[in-house]
Amino acid sequence: MGVLGCIWLVLILVFLYAPILIMAMMSFNESQFYQLPFKFSLDWYEALASNDAIKTAAIRSVLIAIATTVIATTLGTAASIALFRYSFPGKRVLQVLLFPPIAIPWLITGTAMLIFFFGIGLGRGTPSVLIGHVALALPYVIVVVSARLATFDPTLEEAARSLGASSWTVTMRVTVPWILPGIIAGGLFAFAVSFDQFVVSYFLSEPGDATLPVLIYTSIRKGFTPEINAVSTIIIVISMAIMLLAARFSNFGGDR
Amino acid sequence: MANILSQDTRRAAGLLTPAYLWLTVAIFLPLAAMLYFSFLSDVPFGPEADWYYTSENYRAFFETGTYASLLWKSIKLGLTVTVICVLLGFPCALVLAKVIQGRSREALFLLIILPFWSNSLVRIFSWAIVLRGNGVLELAVNWVLPFDIRLGLMFTPTAVVIGLVHSYLPYVILTSYLALQAIDNSLIEAARSMGAKRLTILWRIILPLSMPGLLAGAVLIFVPVVGSFMEPRILGGRFGTYYGTVIEDQFTAVFNWPLGAALSFILLAVVLVILALSSPILRNART
Amino acid sequence: MAEVVVENVTKSFGPMKALDNVSMDFPDGGFFALLGPSGSGKTTLLRTIAGFILSDSGHIRIGGEKVDRVPVEKRDIGMMFQSYALFPNMTVADNIGFGLRVRRVGASEETRRVGEALELVRLSDLAHRKPSELSGGQRQRVALARAFVTNPRVLLLDEPLSALDKALRVDMQIELKRIQREIGITTIFVTHDQDEALTLADKIGILKDGRMVQAGPPRDVYDRPASTFAAEFLGEANVFDGTREGGGLRLTDGSLIALPEGSETAQSFAIRPENLSLAQEKPNGDGIGSLQAQMVQRVFAGAMTTCVVELSDGRRMKAIALDRDMPHAEDGSPVWLTWKTAQLTPIGSEP
Repeated sequence: MGVLGCIWLVLILVFLYAPILIMAMMSFNESQFYQLPFKFSLDWYEALASNDAIKTAAIRSVLIAIATTVIATTLGTAASIALFRYSFPGKRVLQVLLFPPIAIPWLITGTAMLIFFFGIGLGRGTPSVLIGHVALALPYVIVVVSARLATFDPTLEEAARSLGASSWTVTMRVTVPWILPGIIAGGLFAFAVSFDQFVVSYFLSEPGDATLPVLIYTSIRKGFTPEINAVSTIIIVISMAIMLLAARFSNFGGDR
Repeated sequence: MANILSQDTRRAAGLLTPAYLWLTVAIFLPLAAMLYFSFLSDVPFGPEADWYYTSENYRAFFETGTYASLLWKSIKLGLTVTVICVLLGFPCALVLAKVIQGRSREALFLLIILPFWSNSLVRIFSWAIVLRGNGVLELAVNWVLPFDIRLGLMFTPTAVVIGLVHSYLPYVILTSYLALQAIDNSLIEAARSMGAKRLTILWRIILPLSMPGLLAGAVLIFVPVVGSFMEPRILGGRFGTYYGTVIEDQFTAVFNWPLGAALSFILLAVVLVILALSSPILRNART
Repeated sequence: MAEVVVENVTKSFGPMKALDNVSMDFPDGGFFALLGPSGSGKTTLLRTIAGFILSDSGHIRIGGEKVDRVPVEKRDIGMMFQSYALFPNMTVADNIGFGLRVRRVGASEETRRVGEALELVRLSDLAHRKPSELSGGQRQRVALARAFVTNPRVLLLDEPLSALDKALRVDMQIELKRIQREIGITTIFVTHDQDEALTLADKIGILKDGRMVQAGPPRDVYDRPASTFAAEFLGEANVFDGTREGGGLRLTDGSLIALPEGSETAQSFAIRPENLSLAQEKPNGDGIGSLQAQMVQRVFAGAMTTCVVELSDGRRMKAIALDRDMPHAEDGSPVWLTWKTAQLTPIGSEP
């Protein structure tokens, strides 16, 4: 039973990682038509360095992800603290309202945003993409930061208040330092949500100023070369590294 | 008392307003705008826009049957992917939660959910590399087998299912693992002390107690799969027309936004019905 | 129902010896306690008998059959867990009937036996409740009924009463004893509570650091502890030690006390506080020992009074007696500490 189970686990891991590894391997293969046998080459990474369309898209993606991280983390942390510290009418409703952005398929939210942003005259483009990304990242930040806040002893705040600290001082000197790992994890989640986001970006970005995933999608559909493997490999390494960091700070699912 | 309460409420409002205003502008108003749009005859932008209120977009869904059958096709795809994910993922979560001990468990758990947080588009692309004709999989199979075969998996519904299972499998492992970990080991020991065999314990104790997690995972998979369009586009080829791709077309190719809005709203209704149906089961099963 | 024998069982977890050559026998139909502080190996021993832990060496026999390699589910045991481990998804009746269903006894037989078990633990009205709707005491009785309903060869209880509050615990002790007498199954329970062990068990095994320190009927173990540890763990004990001189013992304060017969070469002797008494005058008579002491403190507790006295070398002793039997001496005043020589128990050096 134990041995069979472990074999099963290994097979699942192979299923999950094999295609990614093969895709990555092919980015180091010389052949433009993915022909084997394998011949090592860095040609495709070099080609990438001189591909301006991909470089601009990559820079745009990173900038949008950074902006999303800053905005979503700030707004999300403030909201988490309010939800944790105060009790007020309608609190439960506000908590439930966090789920639509996570639970509704992005196809629906993406097309709805497209309609609305056109309706108010904003149209497609980077500002719309950013607004959309922040909205999708916010619930993740609030969930992660709230989980960390749940381990916070509220009497610490009361103690600080009783010593004469103002509400602002209490927040910045007592509460925020305690939940900092949660804020960092939430920020990393926000970065990942934005950096990996395809669906919403796809509907909201202008053909001329696509984000990296959107550019990859259009390339794939037009017929692709190992250059796409190279950029995909870089993306997957970055997003996995970010999630490993986030896991370190949020300790999700761990049983320590 | 009333004063203190309102002061709390005011402070809370100050901290909450930015976040919820953002969500309102980016999620809730757009959903409302889409509902409004779905009752229009044409896009109401521009000086010479010519439009009127109508229910023809919804009638198109219910009368032609084309869209309905595509929705049914997407729902079947959702069910297939969900069932396969549960069958593959639950045993995996069980092994992880109840067989493997100590630090290696944490590492393996992280390894399994890591791909889930990495770029889904890139992962679908990786299957295109693996499955394509004369691709790695075919070469590997032909290398092992003595005779020459063509798998021809790329651009088939099977390829779409494989890609989607790969994308969403970690969900069901994650939720089942968390539910299984919450089952006290002494319950399993108690069942053994009463003479129960492994299969009995699985069927009578472990499965009922982890059902909420399993169901949550299933819902989390089913909902996005019904609305998927990128995966069928890349892996499905000419078989890749699903409800999601039709909606995509309305916005990016055909530019019939009101029809697209109506189709999106029908999908949203399906999603909400499923969420509503599963929520009491999830809540009951927890106690 | 069967006799259980533990023979030279050893079990290590890494470098730590959880059980070190432990032996004890549990005759058919008896009620036995494994007693010890936490980490003493008592729970490990119980789980080894159950089969959750496989011993490194030694044997476990149930009803004469060697079960060392028999898996838990085939050992035909009943076990009650400290957390009760009731299945939260099943009703009380389904919980109790689980073992019967696994044994495929048939629906009518199951209903009958579950009914009987419920009656025995006095829960017939609650058969269709879920465990979450029960009080702590009720859960404890469901767990017990579930453990014995299959008529196992041996009933194993892991800290059966520790999750209950004090008052309920005393009621449940009486209840547990009644049920065990009625069903007559060989029962072994683990506890860290000395009173519980003394109250319930026909035989007690005291463990310390993975070793069986002493095993025997409660009265023997209480009155004749084999070591300072056993003496002090089972309740309060006063210890006289010194050097042997003739037939007596020369204490560190210089006085010589008489010893009971058959004490050979022991240099330490224990006596329970209730076997020490105080007097104003030096008592006389055969087989009575006494020492001059000073009253330090009197603690009045209703019917009983505890007196702490100090010997001339500063060593303190405790005596407990009915209040009316104690002389009302002021703190600091001289008293005589007396005892019956036969009640001094030789104890070995620390094992």
